[in-house]
Amino acid sequence: MTATDVQSQLAGAPAPADAHYKLPDVAGYPDVPFEEKARLFEEITNDLRFSDYLYGCYECGICVAVCPSARFYDFSPRRIAQAAAREDVELIYQQMQEDIWECSQCFSCLRCPRGNNPGGIITIMREVAVNNGLASAKEALAGYSRIIYKIMSTGTQVSPDMLQPDAFPDWGPETGDVSANLDLWRRALPPETMHTTTTGWAVADSTLIELYLIWLHTGALDMISDVDASLHAILTELMEERLEDEGIEI
Amino acid sequence: MSSQTVAVIGGGPGGLRAAHAITEIGGQVVLIEQREFLGGTPIAENYAGLTPSGEPAEPQIRAMIEAVTAHPAADVRLSSQVTALAGEPGAFTLTVAGADGDQTIECGSIVIATGFGHFDPGRETQMYGYYEYPDVITLPDLEAMLKTHTVVRPSNGEPPERICFIQCVGSRDRHIGNEYCSKVCCGVASKEAIEIRQLLPGSKVYIFYIDMRMYGYWENEIYWPAQEKHRVQYVKGMITEVLAKGDRLLVRGEDTTMGRPMELLMDLVVLSVGMEPSAGTRQMAGVLGVAQNRFGFIDAVGGPLDTVSTSRKGIFACGAALGPADLEDTVSSAAAAAMKAFGCVRANATATAG
Repeated sequence: MTATDVQSQLAGAPAPADAHYKLPDVAGYPDVPFEEKARLFEEITNDLRFSDYLYGCYECGICVAVCPSARFYDFSPRRIAQAAAREDVELIYQQMQEDIWECSQCFSCLRCPRGNNPGGIITIMREVAVNNGLASAKEALAGYSRIIYKIMSTGTQVSPDMLQPDAFPDWGPETGDVSANLDLWRRALPPETMHTTTTGWAVADSTLIELYLIWLHTGALDMISDVDASLHAILTELMEERLEDEGIEI
Repeated sequence: MSSQTVAVIGGGPGGLRAAHAITEIGGQVVLIEQREFLGGTPIAENYAGLTPSGEPAEPQIRAMIEAVTAHPAADVRLSSQVTALAGEPGAFTLTVAGADGDQTIECGSIVIATGFGHFDPGRETQMYGYYEYPDVITLPDLEAMLKTHTVVRPSNGEPPERICFIQCVGSRDRHIGNEYCSKVCCGVASKEAIEIRQLLPGSKVYIFYIDMRMYGYWENEIYWPAQEKHRVQYVKGMITEVLAKGDRLLVRGEDTTMGRPMELLMDLVVLSVGMEPSAGTRQMAGVLGVAQNRFGFIDAVGGPLDTVSTSRKGIFACGAALGPADLEDTVSSAAAAAMKAFGCVRANATATAG
């Protein structure tokens, strides 16, 4: 019996309906009504890719055996596939708030004998988490706001010194040092590394315009509207202004 | 009727197949059935569909019956029981008690096709409450409901919303003494689960299992479609008990692969009862003097490459009289037993003529 169970019993409160799930006060994320969890699950299963990503699960664990993340985190692609196959709405919500961000999206789990794609299910779950502004998505993407800004506004990659140094502790302590002196590190390398820390390469104007149109029309930009409203506003304004300059109506 | 005749005891799928096979290769056969009708367990227990195909059972079995009864070389004795055996291979005399009193049948060889009985869940596993709760039923109980296309809760006549199957009831259990796997229940339960999902699309169907055993083509013919197309929920973990909760049933077990205990409410609980030797199988083993294994099935003494020879020369067995068998096994071993039995009478005829 957990401390919470004891507390709720002492307080005369009814015991939790299902003791296997964390209660909101220990879960580290806000609880929502069952109907909301069911709606999120439906959004996952209604995704066009879902039926190709999940057939039936033997629960054999081969996906866990090949999973690099499972070696280092309390993470199991089997449990992801299982929860989806069992239509376990509560567990899927818990996984969307926790587990899905432990996956490195390497897709080793495609080894599944049934042809399932647990990593793909996670892709969908992440998208649903981002689209719906779940707390876990906000937290997971917090360190990426500069990356998102840079990629979406310039259409090109970023260099490590653009990252918030404290956002990726699992990259190790050297990351800070390297970032601090990135320009020097790069100059020390014999090959041509385009000694720049502003953009990876030049992007043609026409390409950038095309990218802006893609971000706006596909809804890719709107995906972050709930997760990072201010970033969303900045990027929207930036893109719309540029397109206006080009004489393109949205 | 003579030493050229093969006697087949039991008129189920195995006995019918054996009798038909003997007529097909030009032999004479007498088919002895204790019930007043042919067809065996599939007919007596109102099977709805064959496993794995799910096609209606009765027309298929009727066709087997027709093939035997319509053949001039087949002599069918209903409501008849073998009570004694005399003579020796090639010249057996069976005493048969029928409606018209005792009769004797001369035959050269014998095929035992007396089949199995469903494990009675009340006897040893009272914990599942089969005799206590009307909404706890067995695979054959459900099969009979499926035959009429009406699956309801016996307690109130309402269609169930949540149904579960509990596998291995009466099988693979040292306490019960049935240490063997009954071989067919995984496939039959899955087939019935599919049929329920088709009949009641709003229902949720669970199968609680130790191992799922749907070998060979049953894998993709039943298991995969049940899971992928019909969304039957397979959960590895045995149910320890069934309890009444309100007007529903609470099943308790462990969800082993999720690593957590589970308690779920059900409207209908189906016990996947295994196979035991039928009363007829036990009786015939005694009357004919053939060895039984420690579970009471007829002992096949020939090893893996001769599945039908018994401890007594000239007497063969087939199907579920030998142990758990599906229909595919049964008709295959029936044909093998028919061939052996026919070979026996032919060898005898050749020896006599020589």
